Amino acid sequence: MNSRFFWALTLGVALLSGGAKAGAQSKNKGEAVSGPAATSAAVTTGERATDSTRTYVANALRFETNWGNVSLIRGADGPTVGTLGWFRDFDLTQVLASSPSAVADARVFETNNFRGSVAGAIGATTTLIGVVVAANGSNNAASPVLIIGGVGVMVWGAQHLSMSYSALSRALWWYNRDLKR
Amino acid sequence: MSSLLTLCAAICLLSMRPILMAAQEATYDENALRVDQRRGTISIVRGVSETVVAKVGAFRGVDVAGIVSPSANAVAQAKIFEHDYRPGTWIASLGVATLGLALGSYRIAGLNQAIPTGLTIGGVSLITYGGWRLGNAYRALSKSIWWYNRDLKR
Repeated sequence: MNSRFFWALTLGVALLSGGAKAGAQSKNKGEAVSGPAATSAAVTTGERATDSTRTYVANALRFETNWGNVSLIRGADGPTVGTLGWFRDFDLTQVLASSPSAVADARVFETNNFRGSVAGAIGATTTLIGVVVAANGSNNAASPVLIIGGVGVMVWGAQHLSMSYSALSRALWWYNRDLKR
Repeated sequence: MSSLLTLCAAICLLSMRPILMAAQEATYDENALRVDQRRGTISIVRGVSETVVAKVGAFRGVDVAGIVSPSANAVAQAKIFEHDYRPGTWIASLGVATLGLALGSYRIAGLNQAIPTGLTIGGVSLITYGGWRLGNAYRALSKSIWWYNRDLKR
C-alpha cells in the first residue's frame, strides 16, 4: 500500500513537472514568435539556452570610454571592434547593421557625439586662453568672460556627450537583444 | 499515511513554483540592463520599458552588486565599480576646486608664484587621478552589465 502511494506520488510529481516544463516551453515559444528570433521557435528550450549563451558570448557588444575615446568591445574582455575619437573613426552603423533599432540609435549617438566633441574642444580652448590671460596678470574683463564662456560651452558639450553615450548604450542593448538565440 | 503523502506532494509543488516563476521572469526583453546618462547622473534602466532601477549621482552611492546579484561575474565587476566610483568623483571634484583656487590666486598681486603653480599642478594631478579612477569604475560597470545580461535566461 505504502509502496503504491510512493509510486503514485513519484509519477504525479513527474507528470506535473513535465506539464510545467511544457507550459514554460510553450510560453517561450510564444515570445519567440513575437520577437526577432521567430525562426528558432521550433528549437527546444534546452537547445536554445545553450545556443544563445554561445552566440551572446561570441557576439554581444559593450562600450568603454577613455578620455573622450569610445571603444566598442566584443565580450567581457574580448577584442576591440573599433575606437571612435578625434583621430580615429569607424562605421558604427555597419557594425550594428543587423538590428534596425540599433542603427537608429547609433545615428543619434554619432550626431550628439560630434556636437559634444566639437563644443567640448571649443570650450576647453576658450577656457585655456582665459586661464593664460589671467595668469599673465592682465586685470581686464576678458579673462573671466573667456573662462565662464568656455566652461559654459564645455558643459553644453558634456550634456551632448552624455546623451550620445545613452544612445550608444541603447543601440548596443538592441543589437545584443537581436542576436540569434 | 495518505494525508502525509498528500502533504509531501503539496510541499513539493509549492517549492517548485518559485523556481519556475523565476525562470520565466528573467527574459532579456524584460530584465536586460543598460546605462543611461543624464546631467551627471547615471541611471541603470531595465528592459524595453526602461524602468529606472537605480540612480548613481555624483555623490550618491548605490548597491549595484545587489542589482546584478544573480550573476557572480557581474557582482565581482559591480564591486570594482562601487570601490572606484565615489573616490573618483570626490578626487576629481577636489581637483576642479583646487584648479579654481589656482585661477583665483593668479589674480592676487604680490603672491608668491610658487603657490598658484603648486595649486595648478595639484589640481591637474587630482583631476587626472580622479578621472582614472572614474574610468576604471565605468569600465567595471560596463562589464558588470554585460555579464548580467549574458546570464539572463533566453
